[in-house]
Amino acid sequence: MFSLAEGCGCVSFRGGRRTRSQGDDSSSCRSSEIEQEVPQRSGKRLLNGECTMKALVPFLKFWRRDDVSMTKAERTMKAAILIQQWYRRYLARMEVRRRYTWTIFQNIEYAGEHDQVKLYNFFNALLSHMMDTNGRPSSERTSRTASVLEQVFSEESDEGGGVDETAPPKPSRGPDVEFPLQRKDIDLLIEAFRKKKHRLHPKHVAQILKEATQVLKRLPNINVATTSISSQITVCGDLHGKLDDLLVIFHKNGLPSPENPYIFNGDFVDRGKKGLEVFLLLLACMLAFPGGVFLNRGNHEDLIMNSRYGFIKEVHMKYRHNAERLLKLIECVYRWLPLGTIINNRVFVVHGGISDTTDLDMIRSLERDKYVSLLRPPVIEGSTAAESIDKVEWKQVFDILWSDPQCIGGCVANALRGAGTYFGPDVTASFLQKNKLSFIIRSHECKPGGYEIMHGGNVITIFSASNYYELGSNKGAYLKLCGNSLERQFVQYTAAVSRTRRLTFRQRVGLVESSAMRELHNQIMMARRSLEATFRSLDSEQSGFISISDWCQAMEETTHLGLPWRMLKDKLVRTDPETRKVRYMDTFELNTNRNGRKSDTLTVVETLYKNQRSLEAIFKILDKDNSGYITLEEFSEACQLIGKYMPNPMTQEQLVDICRLMDINKDGLVDLNEFLESFRLAEKSLHEQERMYEDMQAT
Amino acid sequence: MARKEEPKIQPNNDLEKKIIEAFEVFDHSGKQVVDVREIGTILRSLGCCPTEAEIQEVILATENKEATGNVPLTNFLPYMCKVMIEHRFYPASAEMLLAAFRYFDTEARGYLTKERFAKLMMEEGESFTQEEYDEMMQTALDPVTDTIMYEYYINQLMVAPKDVYNLADAIEAERKRLEAAAPKKRRASSLLRATGN
Repeated sequence: MFSLAEGCGCVSFRGGRRTRSQGDDSSSCRSSEIEQEVPQRSGKRLLNGECTMKALVPFLKFWRRDDVSMTKAERTMKAAILIQQWYRRYLARMEVRRRYTWTIFQNIEYAGEHDQVKLYNFFNALLSHMMDTNGRPSSERTSRTASVLEQVFSEESDEGGGVDETAPPKPSRGPDVEFPLQRKDIDLLIEAFRKKKHRLHPKHVAQILKEATQVLKRLPNINVATTSISSQITVCGDLHGKLDDLLVIFHKNGLPSPENPYIFNGDFVDRGKKGLEVFLLLLACMLAFPGGVFLNRGNHEDLIMNSRYGFIKEVHMKYRHNAERLLKLIECVYRWLPLGTIINNRVFVVHGGISDTTDLDMIRSLERDKYVSLLRPPVIEGSTAAESIDKVEWKQVFDILWSDPQCIGGCVANALRGAGTYFGPDVTASFLQKNKLSFIIRSHECKPGGYEIMHGGNVITIFSASNYYELGSNKGAYLKLCGNSLERQFVQYTAAVSRTRRLTFRQRVGLVESSAMRELHNQIMMARRSLEATFRSLDSEQSGFISISDWCQAMEETTHLGLPWRMLKDKLVRTDPETRKVRYMDTFELNTNRNGRKSDTLTVVETLYKNQRSLEAIFKILDKDNSGYITLEEFSEACQLIGKYMPNPMTQEQLVDICRLMDINKDGLVDLNEFLESFRLAEKSLHEQERMYEDMQAT
Repeated sequence: MARKEEPKIQPNNDLEKKIIEAFEVFDHSGKQVVDVREIGTILRSLGCCPTEAEIQEVILATENKEATGNVPLTNFLPYMCKVMIEHRFYPASAEMLLAAFRYFDTEARGYLTKERFAKLMMEEGESFTQEEYDEMMQTALDPVTDTIMYEYYINQLMVAPKDVYNLADAIEAERKRLEAAAPKKRRASSLLRATGN
């Protein structure tokens, strides 16, 4: 049997020789090179030269044989079916790739959030513990520690809140908006943001933020929305800095007004490149159209999340000289954002979800502005952090902003995210009954279709950022509730379709997949040392090969990403066709992509490295005997004492896991210098990525 | 992932691991069940090439009888192992596929017209939905000539190595070898029968 040449490089194997498909994938699937998909009209047929008519004859005969008792109709049917079943198989394989690509993105995203939360929980507790044991909160060491840790967690300086308005007014080329804001100003803003030519003057930005804070302060913790005037209301989910999607929504559904009210359900910033524009536009609409816009806080309306997921960097890039001051103002807005909205006393709209302990009365009565960031204990002016942690209340807020629904019953801690819970249909049902509500609308999770209905219609997820993971990964959607019966109407869309020509399903899959593989590669490289060690220990003969099962197991045990490794292996390593063993060192190879995209996911350790002195301080705290080394024992001891301060209590195993995150695994000892050295490598790769990104921006 | 609470089915060999992994990609709840509508995709992702009718057979055979609409892994796994060993749904060879196209190309021009192909795919055999057809046209249709140049198109469909069947063969061969090597156990009933009871 002859073998036909294989098609586009997206496919993994060419007769045993592994093509470097990762690097080629993205270029061959970019819109500019769509022509590659169309077979070239060359004289030479792509079939192997041996496929002559003579060789084909016996097969043709099968279809044309008269001796076989098949009517012509039957033959036609059989031939058609053959083509169809082949095509459907091809399509199914695309679908599977799309699915596991999705899983890769999602699991990496959640694992990242998980790391983040775990580490911050730990250091928060460390902070409280230090204050406790010393008993003298004002002691030099602890206050130095406290301020050092402050620096670790926020990139703000302690400057005042005012933008420098004493400077001589430069002729501003940005949009000239007038306060109080009106419809014409909104139009100006949209034009300016869309064209991105001239930035809004920082003093206008500051004024929008300040006025918004004043308006938000007057609102209750849970907004009250009604359709009595408008007879309909629109709910939008996560936008994550995608201005295009917001503009598509306004274009399709109209600008907000009391007759056309909107609820925006959190996560306005981070990940996307226009978080500031989205945020300001929403606040401006809220100011210009009173009663037309309701805003809920999301888990990304939080400066600690922003420091990791890109918003803080965005603000620094766009407003170099005023970033610190503006961020302080943004923090005020965050604090005063309501936590949820109830429509017509029937529908509960909140960013994450609920838990089996969610108590709306408690949520209504708490002081929401003390939750500067959800990842730190609530702050009350005039008392030390250790005194005022009300863990029950803190958990309430955490749960409604971080939880996810699950299909099975019950309510368990959300180990994947590291915060909030998974709540089942029974939890939803009893919550709705207890509070006399009809259903819940939430966001927080990306869905391929932009929305998803769960728990028999009691929970709706709405997600408004299309192409969230990558171009072509998912649609966005918004939900209209019409009439007094609040009939549901979903509208789906994909932004930025015009910028790329219409991609085939296969090209979209290829594009998203190559992006996912890059992300995955980053994760693998972070775990490289430990992976290599595991591989070598499994390779008793030092042959360079281990079994497929061993490889899959090693990958999962080290990365904990929950991915279908068997399916992915062809994209990551070469398999010897005879021995069916895997060449494990291939795992670490990836062609550095010419079209390198900036990775949005800074690891926690990378963020920490930016504050090297803080790291040293932390280590000095841990190194009780001043030996210059930290033993695992010293670390565990500290962990045990701290255990009681965690909002979600962790097991000893989980705390030791944090050691893994910090890479403390060398014979139970860590030398500070070596530890910092490994961070230097992380910083170096970060700079490289930034440079590549800038190069890409410039083209 | 933290959700799984039930005892998981343990795979005995590589073939089972492969089947389980493909299954789990579509198992959203973590309870080791999948929606029946995904069965076709799972089968195909493993390398099988069933017709729609054959997929219905599989669903009937493996569906959860009490709660129709989903297929549990406990039914799916043994059924699939058998399928692999018996080489069912084995993809036809590339030559057969090429010959099938040629069959429709009565004048042997090397291509099929868009209209003829549309009629065939939408009306004959297990017809395509409009969506499936549109998607296929995006890759199959040559924009220059506006025809289906099937010989080139076939290259795009040639993706799957048949190694899952080879894997099944290897596992089956191993099992047979072990069986042959083990001492034969005889059932009491056969002993009784042998004595002419």
